[in-house]
Amino acid sequence: MKVLFLAGVIGISATTAMAHSPLKATTPADGAKVEQTPEELSFDFKGKIRLTRVTVTVADDTDIDLDLSGHKKFATDYALPIEDMGSGVYEVEWRGLGTDGHAQKGTFNFTVE
Amino acid sequence: MPEVWGLATIAAKFALYVGVLSAAGTVFVAQIFKLTPYRASALFFASLGLVASLLVFSLGGAILTGDAGGMIDPEMLGLLWSTPVGTALIYRVVGLGLLITGVFMGHVGLFISVLGGSIAICSFSYVGHIADHNSALLSFVLAIHLIAIAFWIGILTPLKRLASNAETRPKAAEIGHQFGIIASITVPLLILAGGYMGYVLLGSLSALIGTGYGQALILKVILVVVLLALAAANKLRFIPALKAGDREAAASLIRSISLEWSAILGILAITAILTSTLTLP
Repeated sequence: MKVLFLAGVIGISATTAMAHSPLKATTPADGAKVEQTPEELSFDFKGKIRLTRVTVTVADDTDIDLDLSGHKKFATDYALPIEDMGSGVYEVEWRGLGTDGHAQKGTFNFTVE
Repeated sequence: MPEVWGLATIAAKFALYVGVLSAAGTVFVAQIFKLTPYRASALFFASLGLVASLLVFSLGGAILTGDAGGMIDPEMLGLLWSTPVGTALIYRVVGLGLLITGVFMGHVGLFISVLGGSIAICSFSYVGHIADHNSALLSFVLAIHLIAIAFWIGILTPLKRLASNAETRPKAAEIGHQFGIIASITVPLLILAGGYMGYVLLGSLSALIGTGYGQALILKVILVVVLLALAAANKLRFIPALKAGDREAAASLIRSISLEWSAILGILAITAILTSTLTLP
């Protein structure tokens, strides 16, 4: 029975699907290529969420946390200023809390050419 | 693969389920069957549930920030407190606090502990996939489901203890027989409630088979079937044999109860995974 249980848990872990994205859209869009670093990142969520951390990593070695100090309420739209970190792939990881108490997180990326 | 805070949350939720359901089950069974001693067991599991409740809440903060600092970040914990996660924590702390208080009181204490255990169980109706449906009926069904599970868990340790001692074996047979009569009502309710919630959450056969959530649910059902088979063996073979004075039956019953515990722990572990990392289709 232990073997069956372990096999099942491993199997389920392997097929664990990512959460349906609570995001409607981002600007820049996931996978987009832009000529210069945008002045801000925009998030458009399907439901109200309170963003708790947004980290941007470029070329796997430089990462910064975006300033969320002006966003203390649950909202569907966020526009966060971002500094120019040069060309490369910008990986954005965000975390937040839904009004129902569910923690949510996701990632997207865009390329500055 | 979930990150470290996700894995820690699964472990903490597992401890929470074991703690709350075992503590509540212990006092439910003590009240119904007038069983003593129950205090040490109730105290242990209620304390486990209390610590796990606080840990699950605190780990919520770490998930929000992605680092250990979130566990004690006043802003993150305050944010969680303002959502149903905070409401569930209040129910757990108050419920388990009452249960523990009752343990240290006299005769009326058991009633207070039963009330506390029921309140702690109700906390699960405030967070999670069932709560998301905002349906009073579903919350009621979940509460029935959990009370029936707690009742089942609660009988295991006392029954094993009674069956282990030659002097108390007749009592084990009697309690086992009485439990079997009550379980003939609570177990079908447990299954019906679980089936209904599974149907509402998944809604289709393809979702049951084709998603991680559905597959975890199938694994849970397999363990429930194992549990039912063990319970049927107890009710139809070992308890009647114990009643008839068969010594071998006591050993078989003890073995069967140990296997029931394993199956229940497996079911609670899968539930912790279901509620922590797997999303509904």
